[in-house]
Amino acid sequence: MSDTQFDLVVIGAGPGGYVAAIRAAQLGLKTAIVEKQHLGGVCLNWGCIPTKALLSGAALAQQFKHAGQFGFTLNAIDFDIQKLVHHSRQVSEQLVQGIGQLLKKNQITVFNAAAQFIAKEQLELTDANGQKQQISAPHIIVATGARAANLPHIPVDGHQVWSYKEALVPEQLPKSLLVIGSGAIGSEFASLYQDLGCQVTLVDIAKQILPSEDIEVAKYVQKQFEQQGMQVLTEATVKKIETDQAQVHCHIETATGVQIITVEKVLSAIGVKPNAENLGLEALGVELENGFIKVDSWCKTNIVGVYAIGDVAGAPCLAHKASHEAILCVEKIAGLDHVHALDRTQIPGCIFTHPQVASIGLTEQKAKAAGLNINVGKFPLQANGKALALGDSAGFIKTIFSQETGELLGAHMVGHEVTEHIQGFAIAKYLEATDESLAQVIFPHPTLSEAMHESVLSAMQRAIHI
Amino acid sequence: MKLKPQKSSMLLEAPFDGLLRKIIANDGDTLVVGGIIAICADAQVSDAEVEAFAQSLGGTPAVTENKAVAAVPEKVDVAQVETKVQAAPKQNSVGNGSKAVTQGGYSIPDELQGYQQSDDIFATPHALKLAEKHNVNLAQITGSGREGRISVQDIQAAVQAAGGSWPDVRHQASTKAAKSKADDSDVLATPVARRLAKQWGINLHDCRASGSRGRVCKEDVEAVYQRENPVQAQHTEYAHPTESAKFTTVAMNGMRKAIAARLQAAKRNAPHFRLTIDLNVESVQALRQQINSTVPQVKLSINDMLIKAAAAALIKVPQVNVQFDEENQQILQFEQADISVAVAIENGLITPIIKAANRKSLAQISNDMRDLATRAKTGKLAPDEFQGGSFSISNLGMLGIQQFDAIINPPQGAILALGAAEKRAVVENDEIVVREMVTATLSCDHRVIDGALGAQFLSAFKQFVENPALILV
Repeated sequence: MSDTQFDLVVIGAGPGGYVAAIRAAQLGLKTAIVEKQHLGGVCLNWGCIPTKALLSGAALAQQFKHAGQFGFTLNAIDFDIQKLVHHSRQVSEQLVQGIGQLLKKNQITVFNAAAQFIAKEQLELTDANGQKQQISAPHIIVATGARAANLPHIPVDGHQVWSYKEALVPEQLPKSLLVIGSGAIGSEFASLYQDLGCQVTLVDIAKQILPSEDIEVAKYVQKQFEQQGMQVLTEATVKKIETDQAQVHCHIETATGVQIITVEKVLSAIGVKPNAENLGLEALGVELENGFIKVDSWCKTNIVGVYAIGDVAGAPCLAHKASHEAILCVEKIAGLDHVHALDRTQIPGCIFTHPQVASIGLTEQKAKAAGLNINVGKFPLQANGKALALGDSAGFIKTIFSQETGELLGAHMVGHEVTEHIQGFAIAKYLEATDESLAQVIFPHPTLSEAMHESVLSAMQRAIHI
Repeated sequence: MKLKPQKSSMLLEAPFDGLLRKIIANDGDTLVVGGIIAICADAQVSDAEVEAFAQSLGGTPAVTENKAVAAVPEKVDVAQVETKVQAAPKQNSVGNGSKAVTQGGYSIPDELQGYQQSDDIFATPHALKLAEKHNVNLAQITGSGREGRISVQDIQAAVQAAGGSWPDVRHQASTKAAKSKADDSDVLATPVARRLAKQWGINLHDCRASGSRGRVCKEDVEAVYQRENPVQAQHTEYAHPTESAKFTTVAMNGMRKAIAARLQAAKRNAPHFRLTIDLNVESVQALRQQINSTVPQVKLSINDMLIKAAAAALIKVPQVNVQFDEENQQILQFEQADISVAVAIENGLITPIIKAANRKSLAQISNDMRDLATRAKTGKLAPDEFQGGSFSISNLGMLGIQQFDAIINPPQGAILALGAAEKRAVVENDEIVVREMVTATLSCDHRVIDGALGAQFLSAFKQFVENPALILV
């Protein structure tokens, strides 16, 4: 076979694309990956990973704040945000290099170019110098991800009005920040900047912040934010913004009327939109739905040999959903037995605010709306020894079980490091554990995870420590 | 455990309970049917007992290997029988009755003399040949082989026991020509020839002098070198003679062995003849492009179209849609066209089958082919997806090959080799015009398909390719 003919080509090297390429190569397919910017995609370069690096700085700031409780007296603390940003960029760089090595190890051909379909099975690549070449493959997976969506009346200028990218590499810490949109991205940045000592206002058009989360969780987090000094406005619309040299004046309409909030920076985080343009998809006849590529349960589009995974194939826009789709899509193509279609109720969601939020499955509201008979368990971290010892006992664990079968339908967690613990419920859910079986599990003492156990017991009306 | 029968690999599940105690076969070994893979036993059975049992089977891993090796001499015998037919003039006259000593140190005692041809004598072909040559009466000799077969060693033992002599062939001196040792400095030679001869340790007296004015030239020295170093000679023109050619040993995997064995058998057993025809593919390409641009779920390749046309031709000329049942001397003529399509995979090839291609739509053929080709590469084809088939197609067109011959995929009767679609100057109505053409070559097994029949198939195939409307209805 020639250098331009492959068994499988992936467009986009984010957590969907590079995983798809590696799995395909493992299965013996001659594989290529096309990336026009950075290996690792948004996740590694401008998303999940660098934000976590910044958040560890924010966590440290929080610990300094409570140092007195543990007997430490801290005098003046200097904070150089540039150094924190540097740390964050280094972590990204290191991981991106790792992806390059993984691709090389798996003998995957990497094209640094933009790709466009020119026919079925046929792509035209254009590199940064405008050089063009064509490659072909019977299976082409589109994994181009998504980018920040913008409101037309609030244009991002990269200076006073930021997108998540600018928020990741601030030159200095702004004194005040208004965040538009309280989804995972907006809330994380709001929480990060609040922790670092910035005055933050969080605005959302919806009734609750974190609109996809259980309402009880959202309300709790909002209260926590407010206790930390953040201003949270729900059912609020940013009508217009006016910028002058140093400040941005935001006209915000709420039920009580229009108010003007003046801040140093604005972060627009209203959501993402798929990167489905300029790929030649329209000419090929690939069906889209609200801009996202429409796929079946095996990530196949309506056009033979064209597949889509990750953000570009629809919500939830999560890296682990993209990686999971990558594996199932490739394994299905390769003809492996026992490939399972994606079960959306099995996708955990994690939000790295302070306190953290993690969830899986149905919210209480959705379970009730679906007419299910449920038992709900709830346990506050305040009754958990380890949480008290850590000095961070905000939060609770909520579990939802089917009354008839005892099946775990959903779990919602708020609190310290709950993002690390949600996998316990993910495993339980995948293995179709019941309340009875979870109650039988021995959870180690003294850990935060005991609160998970207690929540299950609470759903069965037999919690011990409450 | 994983078994690799020929081209696929499959999992073998133990049909009984027990603890795996001793693994006998090594990974990658070729085993005979019924060969010992490993020993299982209950946990209570002691290691010593397992070991004893292994010994009783013949001990070491060599059990299976010996069996495999044992099969080889028989094949060599076959080759010897064949060469016998065309062997040099008979030397029978040399060995007439009274002569006790023949050439080369053979001395046959009187009581063992007198070669006779007889159906009652059971001997290896090599023994028969030597007995005839040296006038040995095999009826006087007891065979030690299986079912009393007489080997050369048996003849040797009998001759020596009776006081005669029979040289041990394995210890015979080399028949190579002696090398000159005399000083060759006054032999006329070109400077290059002299230098090469010195480098390679060749005496110029041993070289012909084909150059001008009776000089030994480079070519003459090379000729001697090649005679003395037959294998390396090909690519050691300038290499140091003491340095052997460098190579990497590549172990043959199960698939490679299967390809080697099957295609060797096909080439040896099936008398191939080939028929070539040129196809105008302009209509079929136009139809293909029309379908591809209007139907989302289809991306037809020209190969998909040609598979469909071949299927139609096989139904029209069913005598080509056959397998040869050699054992029962019968031809199996199939009602549907199960077309094996050669797919190149890493280090080999495999022929997944488009089953009932005559009944499938172009879309089905195309999408089946895409799936089969991908799974061929990931090793996920089920045995029934690549074993069998009533006809084969091999297409090297995407690699730019214009035309080639393929070896029949036994027990099938024929294989179609397809070249690249390319624009060529062709003559139509006495005018040279440009047409997109493909050259197709059909290899047939003459035992089951005759020339006219093959031609009939190709003509039907051409008709379907050039009038693709016919394959749509």
